[in-house]
Amino acid sequence: MTSTAYPAQPPNAVPLGRRLKRWFLARPGVARLGVIVLLFIAWEIAARFFVDKIFLSPPSIVFTSLHTVFETNGVPNALRISASEIVAAFAMSVVIGLVVGLAVGLHRFTHKSFMPIILLLYGTPQITILPLFILYFGIGPASKIAFGVSHGIFPIIVTVVAGVQNIKPILLTSAKSMGASRWHIFRWVIFPHMIPSFFAGMRLGMTGVLLGVLLAELYVSTAGIGYFTTLFTQSFNPTKLLGLISVLAAMAILLNEIVRRAEIHYSRWRSD
Amino acid sequence: MTGNDLAIRVRNVSHQFGEEGSTQFVRAMLETSLDIRRGELLCLIGPSGCGKSTLLNVIGGLLTPTNGKVLVGDTDVRGPLPQEIAYVFQENALFPWSTVLENVNLGMMFQGVPKAEREPRARQSLAAVGLSDFANHYPGQLSGGMRQRAALARALSLETGILLMDEPFGALDEQTRMVLGEDLSVLLSRTGKTIVFVTHSLGEAVFLADRVAVFSARPGTIKEVITIDEPHPRKPGFMTSEKFTSLRNSLFALLHEEIRKAMEQSTASERAARRGAKS
Amino acid sequence: MSAEPESAVSKSAALKSATPKRDRSALGSRAVQVAFVIALVGLWYVGTTYGQISPILLPNPLRVFDELVDVLATLEFVTDLRITLTELAIAFSISAASGITLGYLISRSQYSIRVFEPLLAGIYSVPIILFLPLYILFFGLGPASKIALGVTTSFFPIILNTIAGFGYVDRIFVLSARSMGASDYQLFRWVLLPAAFPIILTGLRIGFTVALLSILGSETIASLAGLGHRIVHLAEGMDTARMFAYIAFAVAIALTLNTVTSSLEARARRR
Repeated sequence: MTSTAYPAQPPNAVPLGRRLKRWFLARPGVARLGVIVLLFIAWEIAARFFVDKIFLSPPSIVFTSLHTVFETNGVPNALRISASEIVAAFAMSVVIGLVVGLAVGLHRFTHKSFMPIILLLYGTPQITILPLFILYFGIGPASKIAFGVSHGIFPIIVTVVAGVQNIKPILLTSAKSMGASRWHIFRWVIFPHMIPSFFAGMRLGMTGVLLGVLLAELYVSTAGIGYFTTLFTQSFNPTKLLGLISVLAAMAILLNEIVRRAEIHYSRWRSD
Repeated sequence: MTGNDLAIRVRNVSHQFGEEGSTQFVRAMLETSLDIRRGELLCLIGPSGCGKSTLLNVIGGLLTPTNGKVLVGDTDVRGPLPQEIAYVFQENALFPWSTVLENVNLGMMFQGVPKAEREPRARQSLAAVGLSDFANHYPGQLSGGMRQRAALARALSLETGILLMDEPFGALDEQTRMVLGEDLSVLLSRTGKTIVFVTHSLGEAVFLADRVAVFSARPGTIKEVITIDEPHPRKPGFMTSEKFTSLRNSLFALLHEEIRKAMEQSTASERAARRGAKS
Repeated sequence: MSAEPESAVSKSAALKSATPKRDRSALGSRAVQVAFVIALVGLWYVGTTYGQISPILLPNPLRVFDELVDVLATLEFVTDLRITLTELAIAFSISAASGITLGYLISRSQYSIRVFEPLLAGIYSVPIILFLPLYILFFGLGPASKIALGVTTSFFPIILNTIAGFGYVDRIFVLSARSMGASDYQLFRWVLLPAAFPIILTGLRIGFTVALLSILGSETIASLAGLGHRIVHLAEGMDTARMFAYIAFAVAIALTLNTVTSSLEARARRR
């Protein structure tokens, strides 16, 4: 009777090292997480050992001290105001963008006349007239909302126009051949066709609104978020500054993600 | 048959993709052996997924088989052999950013032809395929048939002993195929190259080939090799001859059951996939 | 066949039907555009000349024009323009060099593309302007912080487009070149580079535009010099007419640079 002292290795055993490598290779998501972790570690090391404390703060301290940012007098209020400015500006951009987009896109003549003007405005650097917005609307939320709207409407207008104009003529022809009225064609052919482009436009619009509102907020250094970024910068407080920026970044990512998910959901019928 | 008469020797080649047990495992080709004579035009034909393109890639050194080996002359094929083998792909592999002439020149540059020789050889190949007037056109400006002619010119300019063609006329319409097929026969009867040609078309196989290797359904192997005893260049009249029709019919008989098998395989796997998706 | 009488009426009718409807509406829309602009400027002029609008809020267009002429004639714009353009040039050079190099390296394997591309796209979705206070803290109010922001903003479109350009070259071209015996260098020089070039060029154009915008933005928000700062300075000094002049100037510069880069890109992509 034979017995083995040690458990026999199955004849086709793959060495552990290679198995690990293959496991990682099959999961790029894990590797990505690994890269992010490595970046955070690099930040931590750089901040602790290589860079002066007044310029950079390590993530361990930034994130454990987040509560001090919120405890700073006025910060939660400023954040709340900024968030509501973004939402208000986005809502207004969507409405205005949709209305103008439909008005321009539905008729060939209005499209030809006004589209070049819109594209020209879309291409100008609006940052140059930020001081004007503040001059006209003051340093309160109105100017931030206005600047946000002025950034957000253009991608929405452009994509709504594209969505209306890009309908395959065969779809319109077949609807007409079945006796559809102009209202029917709009409600049941043009409008549904335009929805995916509209949502894509909203995604870009949200990016624009975020940019516009944040630019305006950072510009006004006497109130709102801009006041606190200036304060933390001038008092060389990288911990609080990084904390505040992280909160704003998280807010931006969240809002972007919401709109992106909505876009995917409402564009399901698209095959392109 | 001595080794010198054989351009290519395929020895017990089989291939599978992925690992056994994994979801991507595909047995592409069962053990296959084949001798290809120097100067002959051999066609590989079979249902979709039978492994004919896989075999062609293995012969050309673009794919290393999981088992078996291929010998070109006395060398084991382990990678591309640009000096011996030229390859014409089905889809357009002409570089769209270069003109037709530049494409042909690039092929020779890759192979290592000295600069001075390239231009005259390029002009010669383009003339042979009838594209002399289009040397400075971009592929995007040409029709599908002309693009494949250009791809052929590029392959010919490499002056290799062996030419491999993977459904080169697959993307073209029937009429263009007919014309190109006739031109190809004329062209190749002059050069004496060894050609291995993958096709779906029965008529094309009978018209062009000296021998036709018929594949079985996936995972495939060579079921039978039919000989077509007709001198090159093949006349257009051959296509309407009784000999052609009877050869085509035997080919059809061989293939028909394999094609049916392949269809059943694909619907069965589709049904299984849908069942799996539902659970 | 009887000869048709060539009356003036029938001739113009023939002409009218010969002119395609397309051309007539093009003329009409052009007219609307011109009328729109004239109306806007006209309203502006009338409102400020005869209306009760404070010149601090909305200066008279003629005054703005005078100020603009003065700015240009005295070459007052040179200092600020030079600073802004230098910042732009430095920032773009850095981001182009690093973006293309790193993008090429990442594109070398499908795996690294799958790992890094979503990461880069994700960071890009955060408004990069948020980095500005950090850079101000780090580099101060001088050009360095503007350059840093310019580099950060333009890096992403460049690297993402480089990855897309090199990483998604149709495999058949690589296979074909390899089958003809191409070496690694030959593959890069004659297949990968020309295939990727148009896409990379687009990335460079976008990067350039975005760098300019973020540099102007950072000059507006926190700076001691440059075009953006000049506009803010004039706003704070309530010198609105001159500010309008500088805004017009800055917009003109930006539009010119945009047009130049777009046409450069179009010319290089002409195939």
